[in-house]
Amino acid sequence: MTGARMPSRRLRAVLLAAPAFAILAVLFAVPMLLLFVVSFWRVRNFALTPDMSLAAYARVFDTYGDVLVSTMINGGLTALICVGLGFLFAYAARFRAGRWGDALILVAIVTLFGGYLVKIYAWKAILSTDGFLNAILIASGLSAQPLDTLLYNRGAVIVALVHFLLPFAILPIYGQLRNVSDIQIEAAHDLGASGRQTLMRVIVPQCRTGLFAAFAISFLYAAGDYITPRFLGGGSGSMIGQFIAQEFSTRFNWPAGAAMSFVLMAASLLVLGLVGALFVRRRPS
Amino acid sequence: MRPLGAVLWFAVIATLVLFMLGPLAIVVVFSFNSGALVSLPLTGFSLDWYRTLFSSAEFWAAFQNSLAVAVPTALLATVTGTMTALALTRKSAAASVPLLTALSVPIMIPPLVVAIGLVVLYVRWLSVPLGLGAVIGGHLLLTQPLVALVVSARMASFDRVALEAARDLGASPWQAFRHVTLPQIRAALVGAALLAFAISLDEFIITIFTIGSGNTLSTFVWGKMRTSLDPSINAIATLLLVITIGSTAIALRMTRYRG
Repeated sequence: MTGARMPSRRLRAVLLAAPAFAILAVLFAVPMLLLFVVSFWRVRNFALTPDMSLAAYARVFDTYGDVLVSTMINGGLTALICVGLGFLFAYAARFRAGRWGDALILVAIVTLFGGYLVKIYAWKAILSTDGFLNAILIASGLSAQPLDTLLYNRGAVIVALVHFLLPFAILPIYGQLRNVSDIQIEAAHDLGASGRQTLMRVIVPQCRTGLFAAFAISFLYAAGDYITPRFLGGGSGSMIGQFIAQEFSTRFNWPAGAAMSFVLMAASLLVLGLVGALFVRRRPS
Repeated sequence: MRPLGAVLWFAVIATLVLFMLGPLAIVVVFSFNSGALVSLPLTGFSLDWYRTLFSSAEFWAAFQNSLAVAVPTALLATVTGTMTALALTRKSAAASVPLLTALSVPIMIPPLVVAIGLVVLYVRWLSVPLGLGAVIGGHLLLTQPLVALVVSARMASFDRVALEAARDLGASPWQAFRHVTLPQIRAALVGAALLAFAISLDEFIITIFTIGSGNTLSTFVWGKMRTSLDPSINAIATLLLVITIGSTAIALRMTRYRG
């Protein structure tokens, strides 16, 4: 801790962090910058031409305005459902499940990483006309013939996205619920608070950041996804990511794909900002 | 009132667990079903889909590529992520949180955007051929922040006295790390590496954009998903589930992650 050792310690810290940040700079920061530059270029005769054009952005709003709005709605609905179900699950694990609480959280963790594509595929197998759910509906007599309306719509996309994102929503909420002390809850009860009052006045205020984190993660991921809508969405369930991928790799219109990416990220941040602002303002003091 | 509430909670929890695990269970069960449709009734136990899979050269090529991506990704991310975590120990939260957040930006934005950014960089500016190396670069972006977070969490409860003692007794920084720090954080490192491995193995979007030609397991599954409901997908999906869930479960045990 002598004065002479301080600079070398600082230098060592910089050197230790250097590789990770070099990777971040070269493979992420630089590409994002390039993508931003390319979003102002034009495609002439199938060749990228440097330019300072806003044509790609104009195209985003002309051609894909509706899809963008629909994407934000799908993302928002998915995130709201994830926060609702995630809170229910986390609340149950923390306060209602007793010794099974840890097992519930294990279920959430185990389903966290495994099988992004597998989950989408599973929902197709469940919802398709000759699929699992229809077989159950017919066997149980709830439906006379297979329903072909389960798949290829907004609902199917949201169900699959909620399934994928629910564990990501549960964990941050649970992380904060764990810190809510039992003493406070008992105190609230002893002072005559109803279960509902305890929930709204004692428990929810203490997990606001967790709830917002759950919303943010679910929303960002859902709004940016393109495999789920492409595979399960049909016409009414399509989302902007599909068209980014299409413009970029099928039509080789890089400027359009780049501009759409930045519009998507800006719109997502805007939605999150609005939700965050509402969330903060409603905080009871 | 009380028993009714308990029954209601049980129903809610059971429904949610069914919703979360059901689809995965269906995939696993139907991978052992002889019929080609994922539908009831079950037609009988069979290992045919696994036989089809294991006799496919394409599957083994994809499997090899997946390992060729996931193993280097896990090792490199563990090195760079751990170095970052070490650099940030003893730094105040005000200094380390922004750096960890910056490192985590690639996992907060849509993977599609990360992927097309990489393609623009590789193809247009660096003229680097797409391929497994290109995929590893993309996967490092996703995995090194997670390693840094896991190891940072471990370092927070790290006993620094032994380290100071080693340094005072004349150990070089490397010797102190090798003989004092490393033995204490070894479990967290293995856990973080397995987590990185599982994420890389499962990752699809960056992979499909940057691999050029050839397949990893995830792009192999995608190819099958697009063409038809090929039931051998159930078998490969089950294998992937076993590997990713298995390595995540071991990782969580080792890092003693609790929510």
